[in-house]
Amino acid sequence: MRLRYTLLLFGLLFTVACGTAKRGEPTYAPIPTSEPAIAQGEVVFNTYCQPCHPGGETGLGPAINDKPAPGFVIRFQIRNGLGAMPAFKKEVISPEKLDDLLAYIKAQRKAKKVKAS
Amino acid sequence: MKNQYFLSLLILIGLSSCYRTLSSEGGGQGDIRTDSRPVNGADIELPSGYTVEAVATGLTFPTGLTFDEQGRAYVIEAGYAYGEVFLEPKLLRLDQGGGLTQVAAGQKNGPWTGVVFHNGNFYVSEGGQMEGGKILRITPDGALSTIAEGMPSLGDHHTDALAVGSDGFIYFGQGTATNSAVVGTDNADFGWLKRFPDYHDVPCDDITLTGQNFTTDSPLPDNPGKKSTGAYSPYGTPTTIGQVIKGRVPCSGAVMRVPLEGGKPELVAWGFRNPFGIAFAPDGKLYVTDNSYDERGSRPVWGTGDYLWQVQSGTWYGWPDYSGGLAFDGEKFGKPGGVAPKPLLARHPNKPPRPTATLGVHSSSNGMDFSRGDSFGYQGQAFIAQFGDMAPNAGKVLDPVGFKVVRVDVSNGIITDFAVNKGKENGPASKLKHGGLERPMAVKFSPDGQSLYIVDFGVMQMTEQGPAPQQKTGVVWKVSRNNN
Repeated sequence: MRLRYTLLLFGLLFTVACGTAKRGEPTYAPIPTSEPAIAQGEVVFNTYCQPCHPGGETGLGPAINDKPAPGFVIRFQIRNGLGAMPAFKKEVISPEKLDDLLAYIKAQRKAKKVKAS
Repeated sequence: MKNQYFLSLLILIGLSSCYRTLSSEGGGQGDIRTDSRPVNGADIELPSGYTVEAVATGLTFPTGLTFDEQGRAYVIEAGYAYGEVFLEPKLLRLDQGGGLTQVAAGQKNGPWTGVVFHNGNFYVSEGGQMEGGKILRITPDGALSTIAEGMPSLGDHHTDALAVGSDGFIYFGQGTATNSAVVGTDNADFGWLKRFPDYHDVPCDDITLTGQNFTTDSPLPDNPGKKSTGAYSPYGTPTTIGQVIKGRVPCSGAVMRVPLEGGKPELVAWGFRNPFGIAFAPDGKLYVTDNSYDERGSRPVWGTGDYLWQVQSGTWYGWPDYSGGLAFDGEKFGKPGGVAPKPLLARHPNKPPRPTATLGVHSSSNGMDFSRGDSFGYQGQAFIAQFGDMAPNAGKVLDPVGFKVVRVDVSNGIITDFAVNKGKENGPASKLKHGGLERPMAVKFSPDGQSLYIVDFGVMQMTEQGPAPQQKTGVVWKVSRNNN
């Protein structure tokens, strides 16, 4: 049974790319950055993630915005790298900045796909 | 707990998607529409409260725009495009109703890369693919004169866009001859190595080399065989440890300046790769956009974003041994499974600064301007035109990168899309099959600050033979803020 759920999740990862990875302006409403952690995380994202995942979309690397990976998996990947992605050790992204980055990535993923009025 | 680690591993494998096995999906690759260029502003997404319309169409390789003292808009056509297309560069006035009136035409020494109107005259950057780069003055009745020349522009990159400072100097960028300071077979693919087999990069100051050399099969029919080539040297010329290369100005990969009345170029800063866009911020600080390294040639560099730099006089910004303030140490910036670049310079002029912002890899972030008032919004932010990737020649991307206009908050480096094409994915209109943006090359705010003009270069397909730019597909867009 567990294996079935695991395989189901695994399959989901390959099929989520059916929707758009676009988030925020100008296609949708801005990403809410009223929380300080999210606002700080946006700066961290733009420093380290933006070049390969512009706006969280596909570029040199795959899109982040539409991948339903849990937070601990994202942390593991950032710290250890994977495939073409380099590792970002705590000397580069401090634990506090990593927390902020996760807050921003989650806010970006959850951002409503509604145009601001 | 074991299950959690197993699941993590499984998810990570899924997320990695094995970069090396995936094919490149750049914006100029695949099924690109080249037989027509429909134009429809409704296909472009903007923030709420803004509208866009095309104000000129049918242009051939437009690259820059300016306004005269009466507020009339002028656009330049480059006269050269990658793919070895040589035409006559032109300065054209945009008339009411979308008409175009030719003011001046230049020699086949393009690409013209930038234009400004200042105190009654136009000033144009002449890229210099055939004779070297120049700064031209053009009177309103079309008389051309050269106010500076001899810029090293016979290679991959050219004399770039220009801006006039409050000190009465014209500031302009100068691109490098090569990707990362070593002439190789990729330069033969560009076309220029066969024309100028002795051409190479020129440092702005004396440098000492580490003596690395790179061996390739010669692409030159008159000089066949295996050739060993060092940095800042002609193709087929090896270098030695400790060899000193004398610097001089004008030089490669620099920001320089000349007085408005003309004269010898002076060095402002160096260590850039291709500082294409240039603008003064409202606070008077000078910024440039810099097209970063490609994954090509004898010394490919992988995974470096384009940069927005604040230019500090007398500073070296890192090319060819740093990217974005990070040193090449033989570990970073190597293609997965490839060789990471090592330093070419035994000593570096200074530790390079960190960029103001890091833009998308291969986005070709080019012309820029600053919003100066509340009438348009985003006051003080830099607007940057992203020409879009030239994959696979510049390097592989998994989806199109660029093909839009972004804005940058220079206080914190946050980049936000401003004008992008509608659609599930990003890309040029020729790939998305609609009438939106193709390859934004430059942006310019109107003198009243109420409108943003986007110079759209037009269609450039990437083929097995190289870039295939399409004439008469260029557009000028005007973005306005609604008053209600």
